Amino acid sequence: MTDISSDLLALITTLKMAAVTTVILLIIGTPLAWYLAKWQSRFKVFFEAVVALPLVLPPTVLGFYLLLAFSPSSLPGQIWQSATGSQLAFSFSAIVIGSVLYSLPFVVQPLQKAFEQLGDQHLEAAAMLGAGPIDRFFSIVLPLTKASFITATALGFAHTVGEFGVVLMIGGNIPGETRVLSIALFDHVESFNYANAHLLSAGLLIASLLLLSFVYLLGNNFTSKQHRPTKL
Amino acid sequence: MPNLIQKIILLFVIWLASQASCAFAVEKSKQTKPLRIAVAANFAQTLKLLLADLPNKEKINYQIISAATGTLYQQIKHGAPFDIFLSADATRPKLLEQEKLIIANSRKTYAFGQIALWSATQQLNSLNELKSYSNKLAIANPYTAPYGKAAQQALQHLSLWPQLKNQLVTGININQTFQQVRSQAVPFGIVAYSQLVINKYQGIIIPPEYYQPIAQQLVIIKASQQVKLAQQVSDFILQVSSQHKLQQLGYLPIKSRQEHSKVNE
Repeated sequence: MTDISSDLLALITTLKMAAVTTVILLIIGTPLAWYLAKWQSRFKVFFEAVVALPLVLPPTVLGFYLLLAFSPSSLPGQIWQSATGSQLAFSFSAIVIGSVLYSLPFVVQPLQKAFEQLGDQHLEAAAMLGAGPIDRFFSIVLPLTKASFITATALGFAHTVGEFGVVLMIGGNIPGETRVLSIALFDHVESFNYANAHLLSAGLLIASLLLLSFVYLLGNNFTSKQHRPTKL
Repeated sequence: MPNLIQKIILLFVIWLASQASCAFAVEKSKQTKPLRIAVAANFAQTLKLLLADLPNKEKINYQIISAATGTLYQQIKHGAPFDIFLSADATRPKLLEQEKLIIANSRKTYAFGQIALWSATQQLNSLNELKSYSNKLAIANPYTAPYGKAAQQALQHLSLWPQLKNQLVTGININQTFQQVRSQAVPFGIVAYSQLVINKYQGIIIPPEYYQPIAQQLVIIKASQQVKLAQQVSDFILQVSSQHKLQQLGYLPIKSRQEHSKVNE
């Protein structure tokens, strides 16, 4: 396989990993952020700290412990193997699970802040008018916190694209499955293909810059709209 | 508006499901897996050049997976789907052998590394230039990297260690050391001679008798389902023509230091 086609494969794997991770993060991160925002208990700080842990832990350390957990000789690895019939460590699923953990604070924290600032009066009014919880979420919470959802999605996606340490440990650098851009880049540097490495890092840099600018542009538009008086 | 958002979310979920099923289908279609060769990062480039010469009848569908020797060792211990492992040292292959994770008797020394003194800023003439050297010197970490240990032994042999040990910049592995010198961040460094050969740089080879042999060993992983193919690759790397090529690429062939390797086993 040529370097270009193998880099292309790494790009596809990266985008797939980041997309799947972001969707999973939004699905589990939204209720988690909601409970953290609304929950009033002295144990709350402990759970907030747990969510923030991936910010502190060196990725290779997190990766090493995940590798121990995903190994076919450990309990989580065995449960996965008996449930799906395939090994967890060094699979695409493994790097998605690793990324979900690693990018969790980037999605949960902006959402939690937004939910905390959300007043109760609209929700109470809607409840009085007979709107169920799901309806209230989609009709009131989501439109009011749209900007934060965009930020959370962008941060989750971007942080997963740039992930290296965790994927390096639990992925095993397997082409088409767990070799992502950051690892392909590292490989090029390690094997002295500096031309390819420069090309890849320039591409990654420009694409990420464009993506993030676009997302912040969207976010700004929504925020400025929200400041206008709205008809209820 | 809420309806639109609900539809978007629904579309997202459908897309996610299709992605998952796609990934599953790909999983199923991978019946003939390529031979996965895990190789220490500093040998990856050399291995690519070597395997380019695989004869036609032995054309093997293979993938080269490179990482630091220590990382690959951890991954193999935890079930990485590799068939053959080319380590940059003899320690990790021996550990894998003790842990009964390799095919019996598959552990072989495939090359001996050489070290060289190198500068990217000036032309060096002899090792004697180290005697009056007062700037930083880059070597790999002597405690974790075999090439770093060899560098330390060579400096001790030259009685330069006490003088130079406070001027050292130690890299986590020999590739980092090479990059430190190549970027001219450190004026002098002791790197792998093979790195200089591949990148077409000139350095001064440090005589092999100044340091203990840097034996690089390969093993065939017990969990491999393609032991025969892995054996073919192993035989190919050890055969005379490949060893001859390794010599051109900056390594010492296994024959030349066989007597040392016995001591090393």
